[in-house]
Amino acid sequence: MLKQQRFLLALIALLVVGALVVVTPFGKQYGLGKINLGLDLRGGSQLTLQVNPTEEVQDITPNVMEAVQSVVANRLNPEGVSEIVVQTTSNQQILVQLPGVSDPKEAEKLLSQVAQLDFRRPNNAILAQVNVRRNELQRLLQKLPETEKAEDQAALTKLQDEIKQKEQQLADLQGQFYQKTDLTGEDLTDASYAISQSQPNKWDVTLRFDVDGGRKFAELTKSLAGTGQPLGIFLDGQVVSEATVGDQFKANGITGGAAIITGNFELEEAKRLANQLKGGSLPVPVKVEEIRTVGATLGQDSIRQSVYAGVGGLILVLIFMGVYYRLPGLIADVALCVYGLLTFACYVLFGVTLTLPGIAGFILSIGMAVDANILIFERTREELRSGKTLYRSIESGFYRAFSSILDSNITTLIACGVLYWLGSGLVRGFAVTLGIGVAISMFTAITCSRTLMFTAISLPSLRKVELFDSKKAKVVS
Amino acid sequence: MKLNLNQQRGMWWTLSAALILAGVISMALSWNQFQAPLKPGLDFVGGTRLQLERDCSQPQNCQTPLQVADIRKVLAEKNLAESNVQIIGQNSQGIAIRTKPLAEAERTQLKEALTAQLGKLDVEKSQIDTVGPTLGRQLLASGLLALLVSFAAIIVYLSVRFQFDYAFFAIVALFHDVLITMGFFSILGLTRGVEVNSLFIVGLLTIIGFSVNDTVVIYDRVRENLKFGGKRSITATVDIAVNQTLGRSINTSLTTGLPLIGIYIFGGETLKDFALTLIIGFAAGAYSSIFIASTLLAWWRQRQERGSYNPPITDSSPEET
Repeated sequence: MLKQQRFLLALIALLVVGALVVVTPFGKQYGLGKINLGLDLRGGSQLTLQVNPTEEVQDITPNVMEAVQSVVANRLNPEGVSEIVVQTTSNQQILVQLPGVSDPKEAEKLLSQVAQLDFRRPNNAILAQVNVRRNELQRLLQKLPETEKAEDQAALTKLQDEIKQKEQQLADLQGQFYQKTDLTGEDLTDASYAISQSQPNKWDVTLRFDVDGGRKFAELTKSLAGTGQPLGIFLDGQVVSEATVGDQFKANGITGGAAIITGNFELEEAKRLANQLKGGSLPVPVKVEEIRTVGATLGQDSIRQSVYAGVGGLILVLIFMGVYYRLPGLIADVALCVYGLLTFACYVLFGVTLTLPGIAGFILSIGMAVDANILIFERTREELRSGKTLYRSIESGFYRAFSSILDSNITTLIACGVLYWLGSGLVRGFAVTLGIGVAISMFTAITCSRTLMFTAISLPSLRKVELFDSKKAKVVS
Repeated sequence: MKLNLNQQRGMWWTLSAALILAGVISMALSWNQFQAPLKPGLDFVGGTRLQLERDCSQPQNCQTPLQVADIRKVLAEKNLAESNVQIIGQNSQGIAIRTKPLAEAERTQLKEALTAQLGKLDVEKSQIDTVGPTLGRQLLASGLLALLVSFAAIIVYLSVRFQFDYAFFAIVALFHDVLITMGFFSILGLTRGVEVNSLFIVGLLTIIGFSVNDTVVIYDRVRENLKFGGKRSITATVDIAVNQTLGRSINTSLTTGLPLIGIYIFGGETLKDFALTLIIGFAAGAYSSIFIASTLLAWWRQRQERGSYNPPITDSSPEET
C-alpha cells in the first residue's frame, strides 16, 4: 500500500513537471509552450466557402475539394509564410482562417473569380462572316443621309431597324469571334506584375510559361504574326487583353516562354490577378457563405475581462473548498491546480484551438472536477458521523463516491463523443475541451487527491478529526 | 434541513409546469413575431452585421455622440433602409448595423460612406459577420441531430448501468432544463430584444452535460440505498437519497456558479449572454435533479408496485455492479 502510494506520488510529480515544461516558455524550443487561440479570441477573420457544382463539374468529389483547397491556399498564402488556415470541413465547405485580418475584402476579391486564363485566336469562318456583315452595315449606313433627306418616315424607321439588327448580329458574332486554343493557365509556371511600359501609372501582369506552354505560345504567335489578327487573352470567358503580333515574329513566333497582359491594371488589380494566376484556376467557383471577423483588440479585451472574471470566481471556489471542507478542501485545491495544469498541457500537446465554446467546455470540466471532490468529501463526512475511524471514513468516502463519479463522467464523455462526431466547428471545440477535461479530472480528482490525502494523514499532526469535520469535532469533545 | 420531497411533489411539479408553460406561451408569441420560438440572431437568419467604432485617438473625432438618424440617412442612400441600427459603446461612439447579406463590394462602399459620415473608424475594434441563410439552418440541424443522438446514447448507458426508467426520467429532466432555459431567453427576446446565436446551442449542450451529471449522482444514491436499504418504500428511499446528496448538490451548484456569475457581471460582452444561459440552465438542472427527476422516479415506481400483485421491493434494486 505504502509502496503504491509512493509510486503514485512520484507519478504525479513527474506529470506536473512534464506539464510545466509543456506549458511554459521552456517548451517553446520544441514547438510547444503555446496554446492556439481561436479567431474569436485573438481577432481575425474566418470565411466559410461553399463549393458549388457546375455544368462541367457536376459531382463534388473529394478530389475536387482537394484541388479547390489547394488553389484557395495558394492564392491566399502565395509565399506559404502566414498563419492562414485552409481546411475542408464538410463535403462541400472549406474553412479559411485569416488571423489578424479585420476586413477580409482582399481575400474575398481573390476568391471571387475562378481565374481560368486562356489564350484565343480569331476564328477564320467567323472572321469572314464578320467582314460580310460589316460591309452590309456600311451600305445601310450610307443610305441613311439620303433617306433622312427624303423625309419618308416609314422608310427611315425601316432603315433604322435594319441597322440595329445588323449591329446586333455583329455583336453576336463578336462574341464568337475568338476560338479557344490549347494554351491556358495550366501552362503557366509563374505570374507577376510590373509597371506598364505603354501606359503611364498603370500596371501589367507578366506571365511565364512552362516548356510546353512556351512552345504552344510560340506556335500561336507565329501563325498570327503579320496578319493583323489579334491574339485574345481571356479570363473567365471575358477578354482582358488583345494584341496583334508584329511581322518580325513570322519566322519563329514569340519565343522565350514569357508574355505580358497589358490590361490597363491598377497596382492592386495587377497584384491580385498575378496571385490568382499563380495559384491556378479553381475547378469550380466558390461562394463566400459566411464571414466572421473580430477586431484584434475587441477579441482580446473581451477575453481578458472574461478570463479575469472567471479566474476570480475560481479563486473564490478554492477559498470556499478550503474553508468548508478544511484539510480535504485544501488537498482538493492542490488537486485542482494539478488538474488545470495537466489540462492545459494536454491542450498544447493535442494542438487544441481554444475558442469561446472551448472555454465553456473547460469551465464545465472544472465544475465536474470540483464536483468529484465534493462528492468524496461529503461521503467521507457521512462516514465519519456514522462513527467510523478517520482512515476508514476516507477509504470508504473514495470507494463509495466512485460509482457516481464514474457514471456521471462516462455519461458526459458519451455526450462529448457524439457531439464531436456529429457537431460542426463550434460544437466540436466544446466537445474536445470538455472531453479532455473530464478524462483528466477522473485522474486528478480520484487518484491524485486520494494519494495526497493518504500522504497527508500519514503525518500524525494532520490526523485529526477536526481538520475534516468541525461538527463532528464538537460532538466528540 | 430535511426535504420531504415526495409529500410536496405536486407543488414542485406545478412550479415546473408553470415555468415551462410561461416559456411555451412566450415561444408561441415569439413565433407570431419572429417566426421562431426564440428571437433568432444573425447565425440563424443570415445577413450582415457590422460593428464599427470611431477611432478616438484621432483629434476631434469623438466630439459628439452618434445619432441613429444620421446612420439611417447613409443606409437609405445605399438602399439599405430596411436595416437595423443600434448605437453602442461608451459615450455612444460605436454602431451596430444589421442588413441583408452584403457582398464584398457593397460592404466596402457602405463602410466608406459611413467613414465619410462618422470620421475615421478603429479597425481593431470593428467586427464583421456575414452569414448565408443556408448555413444557419445547417448549424441548427447538425446541432439538433447531435443532441438527439447523445440523448439516445445517454439512455442506453443509463439503462445498462441503472434501469430504463431511471434513464427515461433523466432525459425528462434534461428536456425540463432545456425548455426552461429556452423559455427564459424567449421572454428576454420579447421584452429586451435578446437574440440567440449558435453559442446558445453550445450553451444548451453544456447545460445538458451538467444536468445529467447532477441527476446521475442522485440516482446513484437511490440505487445504493435500494441495494442496502432493506424494506423502505421507494418514496422514502428517494427522499433519503436526495437529502443525503443535498449538501453536495448545493456546494457543487455554488462552485460552478461562482465563476459563471463572475463572468456574467464582470466579463466581456461576448460571453455575457452565454454565461447567463449557463446560469439559468445550471440552476434549472440542479432544481430538476433534486425535485423533478427523483420525484418522477419515485412516483413511477410506486405506481408499478401498486399495479403488480406481489410487489417485492428488492425487485426494483438494480443488478449487481
